[in-house]
Amino acid sequence: MPAPDLPANEAERLKALEAYGILDTGSEQAFDDIALLLAEAFDAPIALVNLVDADRAWFKAALGTSGMTGSSREVSFCAHAIAGAQDQLVVPDALADPRFADNPLVTGEPHLRFYAGRVLRTPEGMALGALCVHDVQPRPKGVTELQNRMLEVLSRQVMAQFELRRAIREREEGVQALAESEAKFRAIADSMPQMVWSTLPDGFHDYYNARWYEFTGVPPGSTDGEGWNGMFHPEDRARAWARWQESLATGELYEIEYRLRRNDGIYRWTLGRATPIRDADGKITRWFGTCTDIDDLKRMEQGKDLLSQELSHRIKNIFAVVSALIALSAREHPEAKTFAGAVRNRINALARAHEFVRPHSEVSRPTVGDTTLHTFLTALFKPYADDAGMSRVIIDGDDATFDDQAATSVALLFHELATNAAKYGALSTPQGRVLLQTRNAGDRFILTWSETGGPSVAGEPTRAGFGSSLATLSVEGQLGGRLERRWLPGGLVVEADLPATALSRRRAALKTG
Amino acid sequence: MTARILIIEDEALVAMELRFVLEDLGHEVIGTVADARTAREMAAETQVDLALVDIHLSDGPTGIDLGRELGQDMGVTVLFMTANPGMVRDGVAGTVGVLTKPTDERAVQTAVDYALRRRQGVPVEYAPPELQLFG
Repeated sequence: MPAPDLPANEAERLKALEAYGILDTGSEQAFDDIALLLAEAFDAPIALVNLVDADRAWFKAALGTSGMTGSSREVSFCAHAIAGAQDQLVVPDALADPRFADNPLVTGEPHLRFYAGRVLRTPEGMALGALCVHDVQPRPKGVTELQNRMLEVLSRQVMAQFELRRAIREREEGVQALAESEAKFRAIADSMPQMVWSTLPDGFHDYYNARWYEFTGVPPGSTDGEGWNGMFHPEDRARAWARWQESLATGELYEIEYRLRRNDGIYRWTLGRATPIRDADGKITRWFGTCTDIDDLKRMEQGKDLLSQELSHRIKNIFAVVSALIALSAREHPEAKTFAGAVRNRINALARAHEFVRPHSEVSRPTVGDTTLHTFLTALFKPYADDAGMSRVIIDGDDATFDDQAATSVALLFHELATNAAKYGALSTPQGRVLLQTRNAGDRFILTWSETGGPSVAGEPTRAGFGSSLATLSVEGQLGGRLERRWLPGGLVVEADLPATALSRRRAALKTG
Repeated sequence: MTARILIIEDEALVAMELRFVLEDLGHEVIGTVADARTAREMAAETQVDLALVDIHLSDGPTGIDLGRELGQDMGVTVLFMTANPGMVRDGVAGTVGVLTKPTDERAVQTAVDYALRRRQGVPVEYAPPELQLFG
């Protein structure tokens, strides 16, 4: 007896059969009805809905098999039917067919002689088995046209039933997978140290994790919708609301710090973040957000700020103490009054420069608008005002920021220039003025001090004072620039040509490093 | 014009120098105190025309509240003197203004003159440049 050939795509075929999930399920009316109808149409004693598994044939529905629920694949007629390319196999007399003549089901009980089967084929073309009838008498005439039609239509009905079952099964699996994934999400979300929430695309809050309820102490569901805003510190509500509306409108990441009320009534600084989830078309389908308690971090930051403020206060105070010490010491020695005054003024100029050094904290920020070169120079030249309160040193040009390393040099340079001008130059007469131009020239920063309206200048003074040396030292020694003085008849012109990085060396180092 | 001036400053050297400068100008320095409590007691006991108030005192940054109280409730003319004028950036009700430390004798003199003139209702054309006025 030749065993039935295996279909070419046997492995895929078995996988498809498995996917339908029908093997070894119980009997069902729908298939029993079809088997019965088919048997009646053929006036045959046996009808089967037969599925061919790897090594067996299994009957989903069976009529006239005396309780047999299947057979080995070897003896199955349907196994032969699915091996061929045809959808239909008719065997009028098994004894006359070499494939079946010595089949034990033919030679022995139940002495099968006639077979007509139609392959049950999936939409993808996989043969799962066959719908068939058997007779124990040979039928030399084969099948009638009507029987043929019947077999064809009913086999399609069987497949339609199979498809329906597969669809339901996939749907059930999908629902189960979704429930599983939902359960997983909740497990993760509830075990996070952060508060987690989610909203509909319009911003309606419909989910909070357990941590949210634990932190806020509010009853579950009570902050759905817009109720969350009431949990914020009254001063932060409008700001958070506006920021959230902006994110909803633009789809931009939501990030904000606010104070959130804890279950004990204490407001804790919290970092709120949310990001939108989009579908394939880019449309926002949900927002997922977190709230992180950053109160301790915030406190540490404030502590650090406080410390640096305290330090800054101390430093500035030391200038005041040194200045007072010089003045007090000079009282003992009236002959040193001029000397002490000059030293003191220089110290005061240094102190003033440190007021304007960056960076500043919110509190230590100086009283004047910004901490730039121009604002510092304006403050430094404040004493040189005319009767109307207008500064006699006019500052013009490109502004710049400067750091503590440059502060000392810049302060000393312009303190000396101004003091000198007040003694001998343009500021020594009421109508004299100074124009200070600052110019950013690529990699150089050039400051030009031009005196006008003062006493006429005869030429370079024969003796350079200490103040003059200090100015030179500041520019050429400290700032790495060049200082040039020109005694023009109309007034002194001083040009300080600095490397552009000289004013903020630390920042320049950060940039290149 | 001479005035009764109270110096509220916790740096003894700075306070001493200030006292000398004011006395040279002919003012009567009725005391130098280092904390807000002593300052209040002194202002309650005796007539004070002008108080020079530092912000950081020996009992902390108590100068701002002290200055406001002296100015608004006790009829004292108040000038702040601090190395950190940023602390009173937004002004303090009932006080004149702030002088940045360190400063010099001339600046102290002009600022004190200005404050006392205002106290007496004498018209003043413009404030000394070193003095930053409130309001």
